[in-house]
Amino acid sequence: MSILEIIIQYREGFAQGLLVTLELCLIIWLSGLVIGGLLGWLSSRYKLYFDAPIRLIAFTLSGIPVLVFLFWLHYPLQSLLQIQINPFITATLTLSIINIFSVSDIVRNGIKDIPKQFIETADVCGISHKKRFWKIELPLIFRHAISPFIIVQVNMLHMTLFASLISVDEIFRVAQRVNSIIYKPVEIYTALGIFFLMISLPLNGLALWFKHKYARDFSEK
Amino acid sequence: MGWHYGLNINTPVIFPRNNRDNMIKGINISKSFGNKKVLNKVNIKIKQGEAVVVMGPSGSGKTTLLRSLALLDKPDSGKVVVDDKEFVFPNDSDFKKPYPKVTVVYQQLFLWPHLTNRENITLAVENTDYATQLDELIDYLGMGKFIDNYPNQSSVGQKQRVAIARALILNPKYIFFDEITSALDEKQVNNIIKIIDDLKRKNIGIFFITHHNHVAEKIGDSIIHMNETE
Repeated sequence: MSILEIIIQYREGFAQGLLVTLELCLIIWLSGLVIGGLLGWLSSRYKLYFDAPIRLIAFTLSGIPVLVFLFWLHYPLQSLLQIQINPFITATLTLSIINIFSVSDIVRNGIKDIPKQFIETADVCGISHKKRFWKIELPLIFRHAISPFIIVQVNMLHMTLFASLISVDEIFRVAQRVNSIIYKPVEIYTALGIFFLMISLPLNGLALWFKHKYARDFSEK
Repeated sequence: MGWHYGLNINTPVIFPRNNRDNMIKGINISKSFGNKKVLNKVNIKIKQGEAVVVMGPSGSGKTTLLRSLALLDKPDSGKVVVDDKEFVFPNDSDFKKPYPKVTVVYQQLFLWPHLTNRENITLAVENTDYATQLDELIDYLGMGKFIDNYPNQSSVGQKQRVAIARALILNPKYIFFDEITSALDEKQVNNIIKIIDDLKRKNIGIFFITHHNHVAEKIGDSIIHMNETE
């Protein structure tokens, strides 16, 4: 049985798994972008109330393996609280939390790394705060943050595989199931690898392109 | 009022010299960093149409004085008067700064790197009919060949002209220049001298920090030598 034949025969299962993976990704990416971006901005703007707690959480999270965090939220926490949450929600929550704090770090550093003289120059030119934010700060933050942001999002896509370990029927779990039926590990995991390459490589390439394109931007500090 | 200064054209143009009593005054300006007193009750006047040149070794407080008078930093004590508006220090509250009536051209220029030179010049302009003034500035400063380049595609001298145009298009009454001649060759320095001379004739008050004696002598209506601080 070739890779193509396996994919065709089990297309419904793979499509379902793909859908779950993409659904997971979409929620994780969006929450990272919106909430992480907001926290990063709050962290840079209101240092007293937001910066220290957010950095502390981000620092702590960076020291916990994703799988441990996921399992902890899935088993001990739910047992402690005597609740049972859908594994999809647990996986989404876990990975979203990780993404949110990763993105907040990127955004905060992006804001911090803008030379303050660019802002001061805008002030002495009489540019309003609103215009300064939209026309100067945001584009500069975007240029600084876009490359690491994309790389983190690709990593998050890869991390969705961990969801299979708490019984979320994403694409990796579907692949495992199919393999348990027909036992064709080489073909199945090669197909899976190609699938991830097809998504990850263009994104990584895009991140590299942004990095190359915008690396020169702060050279005039 | 146009910008026919004549850097590229030879016909001199007479500019109005009204409001000559307007000025920026620094009165008893003091500023310390830790135990180091950088400015100690400095008094200074910058009249419209005149250039005050400030010289002195590194660490003598030239830039600190610029930043205090341009209200970029708050002095510890003293008073800054811009025309009829007084700013008394110490002052903990935020106050509306007189930008872009007062503006600054920095040594490092700080052109926004994501914008073209043209966009750098026009970003701060609020009215939409700046086209004629921009064309005049492009012609006056000889920026035609690089106006649509990005700053990183432009030489230091070209970027300098863009930074000056960015200030001029806002029709300021006072411009502070922080060592803008330090990285320039002789020809470029001479161009700056001519520009400053034109700005004075346009009744703009100039505060100019430089290390070049001949620049100070050529443009300065008054020259202040600052000594190293304690």
